[in-house]
Amino acid sequence: VSTFTLQIRVRQADGGLERILSVTRRRRFDLQQLAVNATEDGAHLDVELTVRGDRPGITLVRQLEKLEDVSAVTVADGSVELAGARSA
Amino acid sequence: MKGAQFLVKALEHEGVEVIFGYPGGAIMPVYDALIDSRIRHVLVRHEQAAALAADGYSRASGKVGVCMATSGPGATNLVTGIANAYMDSIPMVAITGQVATSLMGTDAFQEVDIFGITLPVVKHSFIVNSSKDLPRVVHEAFRIARSGRPGPVLIDLPKDIANTVSDYAIFTSDVSEQAPAPSAESIERALELLKSSKKPVIYAGGGIGLAGAIDEFRDFVAKTRIPVVATLKGLGVVPAKHELFLGMMGMHGMKAANQAVQDSDLLLCIGARFDDRATGRLNAFAPHAKVIHLDVDPAEVSKLRHADVAIIGDLKQSLKALSQPVAIDEWRRECMVTKESTAWDYNAPGSEIYAPAFLRQLSERVGDNCVVACDVGQHQMWVAQHFRVNRPSQHLSSGGLGTMGYGLPAAIGAQFACPDAMVINVSGDGSIMMNLQELATLRRYELPIKIVLIDNHALGMVRQWQELFHDRRYSEVDLSDNPDFTAVAESMGVPAFRVEHRSDVEAAIERLVNQPGPALAHVLIHQEANVWPIVGPGKSNSEMMDEVVS
Repeated sequence: VSTFTLQIRVRQADGGLERILSVTRRRRFDLQQLAVNATEDGAHLDVELTVRGDRPGITLVRQLEKLEDVSAVTVADGSVELAGARSA
Repeated sequence: MKGAQFLVKALEHEGVEVIFGYPGGAIMPVYDALIDSRIRHVLVRHEQAAALAADGYSRASGKVGVCMATSGPGATNLVTGIANAYMDSIPMVAITGQVATSLMGTDAFQEVDIFGITLPVVKHSFIVNSSKDLPRVVHEAFRIARSGRPGPVLIDLPKDIANTVSDYAIFTSDVSEQAPAPSAESIERALELLKSSKKPVIYAGGGIGLAGAIDEFRDFVAKTRIPVVATLKGLGVVPAKHELFLGMMGMHGMKAANQAVQDSDLLLCIGARFDDRATGRLNAFAPHAKVIHLDVDPAEVSKLRHADVAIIGDLKQSLKALSQPVAIDEWRRECMVTKESTAWDYNAPGSEIYAPAFLRQLSERVGDNCVVACDVGQHQMWVAQHFRVNRPSQHLSSGGLGTMGYGLPAAIGAQFACPDAMVINVSGDGSIMMNLQELATLRRYELPIKIVLIDNHALGMVRQWQELFHDRRYSEVDLSDNPDFTAVAESMGVPAFRVEHRSDVEAAIERLVNQPGPALAHVLIHQEANVWPIVGPGKSNSEMMDEVVS
């Protein structure tokens, strides 16, 4: 089980934040902490998300990156082990 | 111009020729605008069939499928079809009417949050909150649906926006739909692995057809001469009779295919995703193989099985770059020997109809200009195993979601996509009942779809699992009180007949094929007929169970 924090920039659009939370739940990560701030121009939200899960974190990062409204996903805590999926 | 009129114009601009749908209150402005459009609207008899028909249309044509329904129950009825498209990466645009923006959030009549309901099963979705957004939304919906890894996109259109008069202008953008080129480094590493491999196997998935890379894939196979296995959705990437094709892999795969994968030292996974029905027990899947994974979606790489080399991006370019001969004569021979020694024996004992032989005979009779759409269950696996297809667009099967009731609507979509093809729906007595109302759609549009209804008076696949894995404790699988299917079909204007004996099969196939317009052949098989081989739940693909003939 690992805990890590992601910083995500998402467009301020219908469902923007919901999609992030929905993907996190569906991909079997538990939410630990959440902070959301609108950017100054109101066009985006900056989301800081701390999650816990026993699947490789990279699998969540890649699913979040696919969301149309998400423009960037960075791992805040550099110590987190993101590499390597479950291998045979 | 009203928003609804603009929407229809924008759909025409996106190249839409057919919409599958069902009218209702909140979507009425769009139906009004459709009267003046060149787009053909196909009225189905249930919104689920609209979404599934749009899916079938897309698979058969390669174009974006479009479906439409009103708010509330119309929209919720689309959900299964949208999820079906999502799981199989089918480009689709689903348009739903919504109550007026002033009523949204008030629990108005036929108001439902379809945007929220569909969030987990769409590639993307929009609520059109303002008339000024409409041009961009329509254009973006189509771009997103067909670009990269395709998928369904929902547009929820409130009624007041549909009625808003404004100076709408067609929106265009220069956002590229082209998948990125693969990295030179990944190609180089893959070529090194290929060079050192003694037992490579190509594991081909639905992504090849979706990428429009069939020609490049076939060139790749011709140059490398590596044996090929396919997933359910990959069937047809090479013609069924191709010498290097070992068959479908996985739970109901061919022995030669599963054995080659299990023995391989290098797996080239191309446009596939290590689905559990394909891999069996994951940690025992291809245990000696390194993996080269080619995909357009980075999220699929190393999701379930570690990829030694990931080649992300445009499949056409990747395959071209990898098309080099490899020295694997001995391995190829070994695979061919297994293929020959495990070839299917169609001479089953008994006088009852043997479904695998029936389907093989049918596929040989109808030839290449056909599309087969099936439902879900035993008959679906028999089609995958025994109906020979030469292109993925000929074989419409609900892979990821496994949607019973898919076949008939998908066949309707396919017939509109390919008016000159013989479209066949192979169904079961369980599945056909889930969208039976669409027989009326065949009649209405005089669609010459041929239905093969394989009837074992049971929910056959569940019955088979209960027999094999639940100690024959049969629970709610008996369908011996089925309606008289021929009478039902006839009453809905579809000529129908029964086929009960093996000796009648040839004549029945002729009758079906030669019947002008729609037709249904009600084919009776033994209740205890099973799909063989099978890999049991939690088992490795090396542990295939086969029929024990007593």
